[in-house]
Formats: sequence, C-alpha cells, structure tokens
Amino acid sequence: MKYLFIILSIILLLIAPFSGQIDINLSKIDELTSIDYKIFWDLRLPRVVVAFFTGALLGLSGLIFQSLFRNPMSTPFTLGVASGATLGTAFAIVFSLVSLIAVFGFLGALLTIIILFGITSRLKAFETSTLLLVGIALSFFYSAALMILFYISDETQSYEIVRFTMGSLDVVGFSSTLPIVIVSILLLLLTLRYKKEIKLLLTSYDNAFLKGVEVKKINTILLISVSIAIGIAVSITGPIGFVGLIVPHILKTIYKKSADRLLLPTFFYAGIFLVLCDLISRNLGTTSDVPIGVVTSFLGGPFFIYLLVGRKRV
Amino acid sequence: MLSISNFSNTILTNINFHLKENENLIILGSNGAGKSTLAKVLCGITNSDSVELFSKELHNLNAASRAELINYIPPKLEIFDEYISLREFLELSRLYSKFSICDVLELLDLTKLQNKPCINLSSGEQQLTMLASSILHNAKLTIFDEPTANLDPQKTLKVSKILRSEKIQNRIIITHDLNLAHKLGYKILYILDGKIEFFDENDKFFEDSNLDKFFGSSLKRIDEYFVVNL
Repeated sequence: MKYLFIILSIILLLIAPFSGQIDINLSKIDELTSIDYKIFWDLRLPRVVVAFFTGALLGLSGLIFQSLFRNPMSTPFTLGVASGATLGTAFAIVFSLVSLIAVFGFLGALLTIIILFGITSRLKAFETSTLLLVGIALSFFYSAALMILFYISDETQSYEIVRFTMGSLDVVGFSSTLPIVIVSILLLLLTLRYKKEIKLLLTSYDNAFLKGVEVKKINTILLISVSIAIGIAVSITGPIGFVGLIVPHILKTIYKKSADRLLLPTFFYAGIFLVLCDLISRNLGTTSDVPIGVVTSFLGGPFFIYLLVGRKRV
Repeated sequence: MLSISNFSNTILTNINFHLKENENLIILGSNGAGKSTLAKVLCGITNSDSVELFSKELHNLNAASRAELINYIPPKLEIFDEYISLREFLELSRLYSKFSICDVLELLDLTKLQNKPCINLSSGEQQLTMLASSILHNAKLTIFDEPTANLDPQKTLKVSKILRSEKIQNRIIITHDLNLAHKLGYKILYILDGKIEFFDENDKFFEDSNLDKFFGSSLKRIDEYFVVNL
C-alpha cells in the first residue's frame, strides 16, 4: 500500500509538466527555438517544481507548529505570519511599488515574527498558547488593515490584491524557483537535525527537560526558522491555505506514528498534494487558471471533515 | 553529593539538607506535604539557585550535563504524543546506560508490550516503563516519586529489588510505603506542611516515639512490619 502511493505520486510528478491548457508537441521540447520548448522548460516544469517545494514547505511548517504548540489548529497561518506577508504585498501593490512586491511580502512576515517574539519574550514563561492567541489577534488586525488598503486602492489594484490572497504558482524560468527550493530543503534538514528533540518535546516538557533538551532554545529555533521560511514562501506564491493544516493530519491518521517519523512523509506528500491541486487548477477548462488556494480549500476542507467524522466513529 | 540551602516558596519553608557522597535518601510525608515540590526543585524543573549537585550549582549547568547528574521519575507517566510506543519512549530515554533496551525490557517483563503506545498501557505498566527509562537514563542521582504506588505485590517486590541494586547509581525515593522505607534502610527525611520535621538515620525514624508522633493511631507495628490500622 505504502509503495503503491509512492509509485502513484511519482507518476503524478512525471505527467504534471506535460498537461495543461496548451498541448505540447513532445518531439519539439528539445528544440531551443520552439514554443513547445519555452512552455515546457520555462513555464510547466518550473511550476511543478514550485508547487512541489511550496507544498512540502507548507506541510512541514504545519507539522512543526502543530507539534510545538500541541494544538491541531495551529499553523503558521493561524499565527498571522501569512497575513503579515499578504498585507505587505498589498501595501506594495497599492503604493505602486510593484518591483518590490516580494520584498514587502517578506518584510510583512518578518515584522509579524518580530512582534510575536517581542511580545512573548516579555512574558514570564515561553507559553505557546499565548503566542497562538497573539497570532490570532494579529490576523484580525491585518484583515482590518487590508480592508483599508482595499478602500483606498483603484480597481486594478484591488483585483491584484484579491488574486494574490488566493495564491498563485505562476513562475517563469528555473531561477525564480530557487528560493523556494533552497528554503524548503534547508527547513527539512533543520527539522531532521532536531527530530529527537521534537519527539522528546512531544512526550512532556518536563521529560524533555530531564533528558537534557534546552526546551526554550529548541522551541525558539524551530519557530523562528519556520516563520522565516513561511515569510519567503508567501511573498513568492501568496498565502496558500489548508496544506499545512490537513496534510500532517491526514498522514497522522494513516501512519499512526510520532511526528519525528512524519517529517519526510509530510514533506513528500504535501508537495505531491499541491502538485495535484495545481494540476487540477490548470485543467478545469476555465479561461484562466482557477487560483490554487481555491482548489486546496475545496478539496481539503470536505476531506478533512470526512476524516474527523470517520475517526470519531472508530 | 547534593545540598539545598535556604529554599522557600509558596509550599516549602526554609529547606536545608545535605547528602554525602553515595548517601541515598527516602522522603516521607503526608499527601500535599510538599514531597514532589521538593523533588522538582532538586532536579531543576522548578528553577532555583539553592541546589548544588556534585559540587556544581544546578542552575548554572547546561542541559546535557544536568541530565547526566540528575533525573526525576514522576508518580505518573505524562505523555502528550498518542502514538509513541513503549520501545520508542525507552529509546529516547537511553542516555548513559551500558544496558541495552532489550535487557531492560526483559528485566521488567515488558518485552511483549514494547510496540504498544505508551498511553494505552495500564498504570502499573506505565510505572514499570518509567523505572525502565530511569535505568536507561542512568543519571548519577535519580529521584523516584512513589515508584511502587500502582504495583501488585509481586511487582512491588521486584521493583524494590531493582531500586536497591547497582542498576541505579544514587537514589532518592519518595514513598508512602513504610515497609519499603524500613527495608531499604536509607536515611529518612520527613516533611510536614512544607517543613523538614525529621532528617536522620533510618532506625532512629522507626523508633516508637517518632512513629507515634508522625502517624498516631493510624499505624500499627507488627514485628518488623508496619500496617495501616484499618
């Protein structure tokens, strides 16, 4: 069963770059001057790469946040990091700083992280639940700020903001995929390096402490790394919801293993999930692609509820 | 080996005592007297600057060297992770022991249960799991908080033998079992309402005058055994 899923996933990865609204003439994809070459190598393949690594990064980030906060609802999105990035991007759009969109998106995420950790460092103990509440409050604040930006923006700008908040995997050329690929692989390596600590933190904080884990330090390292990675990802692709929330959950119900054994499966299958969602969004036959965030939520939401209801019956 | 000086908080008042090299200890006291609170201070879970371990100040130790010196086994196994198996839990606990996980599983008759999730074990099995983890951790000093509370008589006997053996380096045992306390023969510290009421040799504690003072008519002595006067 396990191998069947891996094989199906690899087949999906192989066919994904070949399918889309424009049929590619396979015999021409190695001719440098052909339109088929351009579509395949500059658009389709980079898009699959970005979809895979963005999904992987979102899934892994979700798993880490859910583990550290011990709360199934907590992901970088519930903490307001993604909303911060969205607000930064919208700001750049409204004030016509189009060339700096990614920078502003990243700054928005970074600012959120600084606020979050600035507030929590004033608290007595490292309380993850307080951090979560602060994140939720920030998200509401950002939504209100985004509304103000909508109010003062013109029609084209509003459309751009809306399009960004729905997420997009449009990239041109391999060079633009590099940041996502590097960041997601670095995050994977970091979490694998700390997998024993993560597992100990999941037993109990006291037990982790007694076994020689620097509880506060490890928590901080992981949360900040994930937040930075999310900031970078959101500034490139926009906020793509649900992947980080549901993929770790689905894998937990299937694998029935501790988080340390789910790091690699989550990375892989969250990547595959986003490639699949992207494949669907590109092949629905609409005039323009359905936004990726719409597809993930449409597929993910009901399936997630189905899983939760099914689990209760057992 | 261990000393705590002038420690007070909301539960404990002016705690001072000192253990010499290779001196084990039994902590007695009624429910809520502050035994576990004291244990958490001694192992560093409750932060303080009053504890000295093996001539080093506890609060200045880094996490790894602290784990080498001291370990605390709580009365109940608390685990958030619903999937972690007994064996995985022991793998995480194996720090300074020369014993393999299989040896320890065998020793405590846990081999059959090794792939079961910890949260599905019975309270007695969880107690044995924690004892197994303490052997595998092998800190220089281990504090056991009611290590026999959930065990049947055979298991209690087995565990008390292990607690006395060289599989544990130095130990502090918190218990309500006076027979165990008497048989182990270690120095006794008795806590009453957060204060140290008695800290001396084992046989002195079990003098009739002390027993009468601390337990009154609730306890009956029959030869060398102590029973609750039901």
